[in-house]
Amino acid sequence: MTRLRAEGLTLGYDDEAIVTNLDVDVLDGKITAIVGANACGKSTLLRGLARLLKPRHGVVSLDGKALTEMSTHEVAKTLGLLPQTPLAPDGITVADLVARGRYPHQGWFRRWTERDDDAVARALDATGTADLVNRPLRQLSGGQRQRVWVAMAIAQDTDLLLLDEPTTYLDINHQVELLRLLRKLNTESGKTIVAVLHDLNLACRFSDHVIAMAEGAIVAEGAPTDVITAELVEKVFGLACVVVPDPVAGTPMVVPT
Amino acid sequence: MSNSTHVARRVSVLGPGLAVLCVLLALIAFLSVTLGSRSIGLPEVLRALGSMDTDGSINSTVTLELRVPRTLLGILVGAALGVAGAILQGVTRNPLADAGIMGINSGAAVFVVFAITVLGVRGAAVYVWFAFAGAIAALVLVYAIASLGREGATPIKLALAGAAVTAGLVSVTTGIVMTNVDALNELRFWQVGSLAGRYAPILTGVAPFLILGLIASLGFGRALNGLALGEDVARGLGQQVTRTRAAAFAVVAVLAGAATAACGPIVFVGLVVPHLARIICGPDYRWILPYSMLLAPIVLLLADVLGRVVAAPDELQVGVVLGVLGAPAFVGIVRYGRLSEV
Amino acid sequence: MAATASTAPQAATAGAFRTTRRRRAARLLAVTCSLAVAVSALFVLTMMVGSFQLSAEEVIASVLYLRDDPSVDFVVRGLRLPTAASALAVGLALGAAGTIFQQLLRNPLASPDFVGINTGAGLAAVTGIVLLQAGGLAVSALALGGAVVAALLMYVLAWRDGVAGYRFILIGIGVALFFDGLIGYMLTKAQLSDARQAMHWLTGSVGQAEAGELRLLLGALILLLPTAVLLQRQLRALELGDDTARALGTRTELSRGGLLATAVVLTALAVAVAGPIIFVALIAGPIANRLLGPATGGIIPAALVGATLLLTADLVAVHLLPTPLPTGVVTGAVGAPYLLWLLATTNRQGAGG
Repeated sequence: MTRLRAEGLTLGYDDEAIVTNLDVDVLDGKITAIVGANACGKSTLLRGLARLLKPRHGVVSLDGKALTEMSTHEVAKTLGLLPQTPLAPDGITVADLVARGRYPHQGWFRRWTERDDDAVARALDATGTADLVNRPLRQLSGGQRQRVWVAMAIAQDTDLLLLDEPTTYLDINHQVELLRLLRKLNTESGKTIVAVLHDLNLACRFSDHVIAMAEGAIVAEGAPTDVITAELVEKVFGLACVVVPDPVAGTPMVVPT
Repeated sequence: MSNSTHVARRVSVLGPGLAVLCVLLALIAFLSVTLGSRSIGLPEVLRALGSMDTDGSINSTVTLELRVPRTLLGILVGAALGVAGAILQGVTRNPLADAGIMGINSGAAVFVVFAITVLGVRGAAVYVWFAFAGAIAALVLVYAIASLGREGATPIKLALAGAAVTAGLVSVTTGIVMTNVDALNELRFWQVGSLAGRYAPILTGVAPFLILGLIASLGFGRALNGLALGEDVARGLGQQVTRTRAAAFAVVAVLAGAATAACGPIVFVGLVVPHLARIICGPDYRWILPYSMLLAPIVLLLADVLGRVVAAPDELQVGVVLGVLGAPAFVGIVRYGRLSEV
Repeated sequence: MAATASTAPQAATAGAFRTTRRRRAARLLAVTCSLAVAVSALFVLTMMVGSFQLSAEEVIASVLYLRDDPSVDFVVRGLRLPTAASALAVGLALGAAGTIFQQLLRNPLASPDFVGINTGAGLAAVTGIVLLQAGGLAVSALALGGAVVAALLMYVLAWRDGVAGYRFILIGIGVALFFDGLIGYMLTKAQLSDARQAMHWLTGSVGQAEAGELRLLLGALILLLPTAVLLQRQLRALELGDDTARALGTRTELSRGGLLATAVVLTALAVAVAGPIIFVALIAGPIANRLLGPATGGIIPAALVGATLLLTADLVAVHLLPTPLPTGVVTGAVGAPYLLWLLATTNRQGAGG
């Protein structure tokens, strides 16, 4: 059963097609990692899945309905996305920013309610940013800032959450913390999560399903243990390596030769 | 495409591009000396240029004492405005920042009006020094106000302080001009911006400042690249952000101050040319600065020559030509070109 | 990320967040109310002073038709109310339009003054004054047309699969410079007296309001200020960038179009009424933001700041200076020091931007 799926999807900017004729089923209640070399169409695919890019061909459907035929407001209650480089107005405070994640749950005349307070508080707690609410975003460290953005996406309170390279700018400790947070959200509230990730080892460690892309096409997909092999890494990244089991979790670990 | 081939291609395309621009500039400079409302034959122009001495004839005098200084001034002022604009856009990370909004023009105008109304002095040669002083005073004021507070002169504070100082000074100028027809009459011509009537004494007065400023400005490419990534990253790269900003502002004050003093406010060059350079070069200030430095005088002289030819025997102020012909060209480039943001 | 999802800490966080939110809401309300009081007081004060001094009571009674006193009514309704009303309306319109532009284009310098709308109005009006010897209502109508044409031109030129803020700003620069070049040409070619009249119009003054234009602007305000307030939510989403805004469920192009149209109509009518009064639109938003706390971006507070600025400027221009001057001369002098002071002080506490 998949709520979010793409069939025959072709996406591009201006005259260039970046990804062509893709079929993707996003597994419900799982964490999916999209991996691949730079400029292989990972982010483009994610933007397509989140209706930020209109398909040239093909359909992206949510619960059986094409995204293009749903009101964007309705979609936003089910499907959230954190872009790669989100913009923030100068001087905005953490409280203000995270609260803006509640946008789809308000209407022209529907005001802020206790439920919104609770959702924001849940997001702040989950990301460990509750102490920062009164601080301006600009004064935070890169790691704190990224967690605040994730908090905003969580506050949107959607069943599906798409994240475009959420671990960039983070040191290894914060990367792991963020991925643990995603795992926690997944196990505790059953959220479906799709993330574009750069670090293959962390992707294997924290995802249930890996989609490996090269030149706008899906090269392989499946459970990390099945998919990530030395041949695949060579093919996708052009890197000669051996793949050994991670000493802690037993998931595949890529070691360059 | 790997990074190193990308850079190599950049150098192999953009490097010769600079040479092409130099040739273009020389060509237009030559046109600027030969063309004008008074038609002077090419041999006479060449003879005058060759001897570098007036033989007493009107034609050689016009060439050497009017057209040559005017052309040289156009080159220097154009280059100065282009580079100053590029630096300001880089420091403030704002595509709307130019010397005008940072208080230069309004500061110069206030001092000029002050000279006219209070001191009763007249003439372009005197205005130069008042305008120069006013421009620098205004820019220093903007920087000082933006520097107050813990974080120093952040881009947004610079932009707002510049806008506010400009607002206040424009009020003062307009207030005086509105009550003094004489000052209005002088100012309305000063305000359009022109290379006309700015000859040898003005050139020799401002040239040292402009040349020194231009040389100093070329060292800022790497620093601006760092600032473009944001203060945090720049600091991480080992830059002294505050010192870089202050130095950049000092150079801008000298360049734009002297240029505005010499020719009045020519907004277009400082605002538009850096965007053109950015469209050609991408976001690398090590290329944007030299490209701005060459593109700006080309655009300025071209507009000046057109202004002389189109309306002969009269002439159109270069500010007018730039707005009427240059702006649509710029709009076209922006619409169809590939943009990389400040 | 040590916090567990147990309910106790979450309730505490929710409580803390609620306090923060309520404090912000209270501040918004307090600032808005104080500004509204200041605007009302200035509005009445403008009508009290002059060669014929009136009391506040007389002014209010006359404006609200509570009393019948022909001489007072003549001074108040006939002479002073139009100017005061246009200062109020133009200030509200420019303040609201300015902050919408700045937030939408994500640039503190991107007020209508700088992106070509005012220059479009200016060129049309100056052409009318210099070439057609037009005056009064004709100039207002030309300005209105010029502003709308300039705005449409920019929108069409900047449209390429949607209007990106950055391209819109650059196109705005180009359009503004084009009109500026032509205005400069007009001014140098004009007779000195025409040039003077043109400069006077270009400076802007609330005293030159035409009744018809003013009524139109007041009507537009009654319609568009509530629209702007309703669109504020969309604006706050758009501020986070198009990708985030769409992910949050905003119809970005539609919202942006609606906000732009609102701001453009307000600006165009304001310019038609009072000429291109500069800097009100530019500084009202930043001042409001510094009163409210950074990035709050209230449209109504910004509109009220605009009205305060313009009413104050009118008082200064007409009554405090030795010779009465057009309002536009004074707006910069009134607003700029205040903004500079705010810039200098709020940042000491590390609260500003």
